[in-house]
Amino acid sequence: MERGPERNINQYLLQSSEDEIKRIALELHEGVAQTLFSIYTGIQLLETSTEDIKMKNYVREMAEVLERTIQEIRYLSVELHPPTLSTIGFFPALQSYLKLYTSTFGIVVDIEQAGEEIPLPVNHRIGLFRVCQEALANIAKYADSAKIKLQLNWEHHRVQILIQDFGIGFDVDAHIESHGLAAMAERMKLIGGDCIITSQLGKGTTIRLELGFASNVNGEGEKV
Amino acid sequence: MFNKSKNYEPILQECKQLKKEINCDFVGFAFQNTIGPDIKWHIAAGNHNEKYKLISVRYGKGIAGRVISTGRAMTIEDFPHHIIGKVLEYPIMLAEKLVYSHAVPVYYKEAAKGVLLVGNRSNKQLSREDVLIVQAASNKIEKIISC
Repeated sequence: MERGPERNINQYLLQSSEDEIKRIALELHEGVAQTLFSIYTGIQLLETSTEDIKMKNYVREMAEVLERTIQEIRYLSVELHPPTLSTIGFFPALQSYLKLYTSTFGIVVDIEQAGEEIPLPVNHRIGLFRVCQEALANIAKYADSAKIKLQLNWEHHRVQILIQDFGIGFDVDAHIESHGLAAMAERMKLIGGDCIITSQLGKGTTIRLELGFASNVNGEGEKV
Repeated sequence: MFNKSKNYEPILQECKQLKKEINCDFVGFAFQNTIGPDIKWHIAAGNHNEKYKLISVRYGKGIAGRVISTGRAMTIEDFPHHIIGKVLEYPIMLAEKLVYSHAVPVYYKEAAKGVLLVGNRSNKQLSREDVLIVQAASNKIEKIISC
């Protein structure tokens, strides 16, 4: 069984890492992408002001490369830390990430929410989001599934998230020690939740995440 | 630019012909959309599923993204081993369970706007002759698009 101080150190390290990821994501989104956008509008202006056809095409080409680069920076920022995760909430952040997930991997995700989102402390939101990201990445890598069903149930004292794929399935007992699955379970444990994985060969896998909380949680900080 | 109603059928035939000629498992063609910077997989032959239709190629990422950003051919010999970047940066390889792939750029007005990718679900490699056939197919597609 893990000792208290060790768990505190793990939490501290994780929190430091998340703070750094958030800083980089914000810097990319609000700093680098904005600066590049200013250059992009300048280049567009150059394109309209030149009469030379060859130069016009060259400038247009440069503008296109820049446009793709800005898009890629924004995608990277969402993957690292969706801007809405710390501000608007877990569900909008997940929706934004899933849109990017489908356009990246071609896997359709049906998402449903029952009940009203309860504003969780930011570290809980981030924890849940990271576990969902890991589960979705595993599906893209191993499951061979074209569809995922993701269900969020907000209840008075807990939130339950079900992530179900319809792929090849796997032997959970044989893989439970793998880093990815162990990290998901540990991450849930760190925020006081559970991660339960069930799978049937040829039928798919279901990941159930459960997080209990006091009914008067304060989204701005820790549980009150 | 790629015009679906005009170019789809001839390019699909080209992809099918290429698949048959070099005896590979998969052939895919991705090209920049008419509006906006998105690059999508428009045509596939030998596909196992329809995922390719939803995938947008990420600029500079994975085999297709790198071929378009550098304008040069690229080969993956034993996916997921010995790759640049992360496994998740290669969605078309994951979606179609490809182990080997070779991709060449498709040019439009002297700029790489698309990619022609051939792949195998085993590590069976292309011969030098096959690589030349793929390049010739890409040139034919460039002509179809520029007409």
